Amino acid sequence: MTAPILPGERPTFRTVAPAPLFTAVLAGLAVAGAVYVTPGSKRLAVACGAGAGALLLCAAVALAAHAYQTARITRRRLEAVTLDAGRLLQERARLSTDFDRERVQLTEELTHERARLTTELSQERARLTSDFSQERMRLTTSFAEERTRLTEERELERARLTAENKQLSEKARRDSHERAAALSATANAAGRMQALATGMLADLRAMEERHSDEDVLADLLHLDHRTAQAGRIADSVAVLTGARSGRRWARPIAMESILRGAMGRISGYQRVRVHSASDTAVAGHAAEGVMHALAELLDNAANFSPPSAEVHVYVEEVPAGVILSVEDSGLVMGDIQLRRAERAVSGDSTELGGLTGTRLGLAVVGRLSRKYGLKVSYRPSARGGTGVLMLVPQDILVPQDAPTPQVSLDLPEPSPSPQPSPSTPVDPEAVPESEPESAPSVRDHPWMSYAAGRTLADLDPDPVPTHESPERGILADAVTDVADALPEGLPKRRRGQALAEAERSRARAESPVPETPRPAPSADDTLARTARFNSFRRAVREAATDQGTRASDIDSDSPVSANSADSPVSAEPAPSLSHSEGNPTS
Amino acid sequence: MSRPGRDDSPDRLYTLTGGRTRSGPDSPFDLVTLVVAECDPATGMQSEHAAILRITEHPTAVVELAAELKLPVSITKILLSDLLTAGRVSARHPRKADLDPDVLEQVLVGLRNL
Repeated sequence: MTAPILPGERPTFRTVAPAPLFTAVLAGLAVAGAVYVTPGSKRLAVACGAGAGALLLCAAVALAAHAYQTARITRRRLEAVTLDAGRLLQERARLSTDFDRERVQLTEELTHERARLTTELSQERARLTSDFSQERMRLTTSFAEERTRLTEERELERARLTAENKQLSEKARRDSHERAAALSATANAAGRMQALATGMLADLRAMEERHSDEDVLADLLHLDHRTAQAGRIADSVAVLTGARSGRRWARPIAMESILRGAMGRISGYQRVRVHSASDTAVAGHAAEGVMHALAELLDNAANFSPPSAEVHVYVEEVPAGVILSVEDSGLVMGDIQLRRAERAVSGDSTELGGLTGTRLGLAVVGRLSRKYGLKVSYRPSARGGTGVLMLVPQDILVPQDAPTPQVSLDLPEPSPSPQPSPSTPVDPEAVPESEPESAPSVRDHPWMSYAAGRTLADLDPDPVPTHESPERGILADAVTDVADALPEGLPKRRRGQALAEAERSRARAESPVPETPRPAPSADDTLARTARFNSFRRAVREAATDQGTRASDIDSDSPVSANSADSPVSAEPAPSLSHSEGNPTS
Repeated sequence: MSRPGRDDSPDRLYTLTGGRTRSGPDSPFDLVTLVVAECDPATGMQSEHAAILRITEHPTAVVELAAELKLPVSITKILLSDLLTAGRVSARHPRKADLDPDVLEQVLVGLRNL
């Protein structure tokens, strides 16, 4: 009866049937016995009652059997289920155990792994930390070493450089000092050379006036030429050393004189051909510079052209000024040379380092150009050589015809005036006496052109104050003298009496001469005579002052005094005054 | 610096004559030769030539010319020779001195009495 556990299984008929059947048999047999034993009249009732009881018994037994069977099946199923449950519980317990064990194992593994990793990490960290600290230590050490080394090196280097710097600055200071000393010595020497040359030129000029022998004159002119060239070189050195350039002219110099003055300072002046119709003049303060620059250009042109070739100078007036062009037919300058020459004459660099020794001229021209605003440019010449254009700007030009006393003065003069020495046809006095008439100088006839002198001085953009004031003083003096002289016929001497004391006797001795032919002095005569006397008086006074200054100049070496040693020039009228015995015709 | 009275021209004498120092053997000029201009000064002329022509509008002696020009007589003679060659001036010697010797003697006496 251990059938598979099936829900709804019921007890089968076979299992239930035997018991009721066995009971039924037994009951039938009992009923049948009871009926047999019972008398006949009561047998039916007994048979019916006994049969019904037997039937009831059979049914009860069947129910009991069925119930029993059912209980047994159920019990069996219960047992199976209980067994299953136990098995399941067991399984669960096993699983739980397994799980626990697994968990423990895993936990252990995890812990172990974590511990391992932690250990490794800490080890690694420790290693890295140590490495790092080691490296840091190493680097710190090396850095410190390096820094120390560098610091030491720097200190050394700095000390070395400081020493070197000191040495160099010392050297530079010494050099600049030496350079300044050399420059100043050179400038000083150049100034003295200039003064000597100027004085010599004046002396030569005076000698040329004095000696009429043509041979002597030729020699003197030769010396004059040589001296003028020497003077130009002294001027060049003075310009390059930054000293004052030679002389300053007290009046504008006509362009013709500028050209001739420049020509006179070069050796090959006879090859220079001048083509000029210009009547402008260069202001006095700039005339020397223009002349000098032109002389250098002419010298270059003459030196770098064949000895027989001519150098042509053209003068052209343009709105910006006057262009002097110097054309030679000599060497053609290449582009590079032209550019170099242009750079040299532009005056941009005032350094002396660029001088090559033989090419002083262009540097001199550059300095002068810069100083006076000249513009010099080079170009190939149509004559086959090199052409130089020099633009003299308008602001240092003066129109030459501004003061024109020459014509008005010349007019009264050609008529034979009574003064020129009735005794001798050639009186040396005539030279200084006629000075005011023929010289276009303003200061030589202050009585006529004082106003013109003022305007002329105002025209001058850079009047030289040192000669301005004394000149005006003389002018004013002369004017008062004229005012005094007009009514009396002869001026009174008010100023300069002490200076002219030595000459007074001579002046007195001469005074009768102009007075004798004075029947009725006309206005013109009076003016002319006054002018003549003024020039004479001035010459006397200057001769006296010059003697004084010359004596003081001889033993002083300063360039200022060297410049003031121009004074021999101013003594020019004096010799002719005092050398009347030198006249061959007397 | 510049002072009044010094030579006031940068011209050197040799530049006036182009370097010549003598006027030639056949020069007619001496100190008293009278010079007369034959034409007017022209532009572009050397300034001394122009001045000579201006001065010699009236007959003028060479020595006077030299004095006017403030040039040595020799230089003046060279300049005059140039002008004479160009036909711009003419030269004339003054009349021979035909003065009465008595007059000259009187002048001499007068001079001595001065």
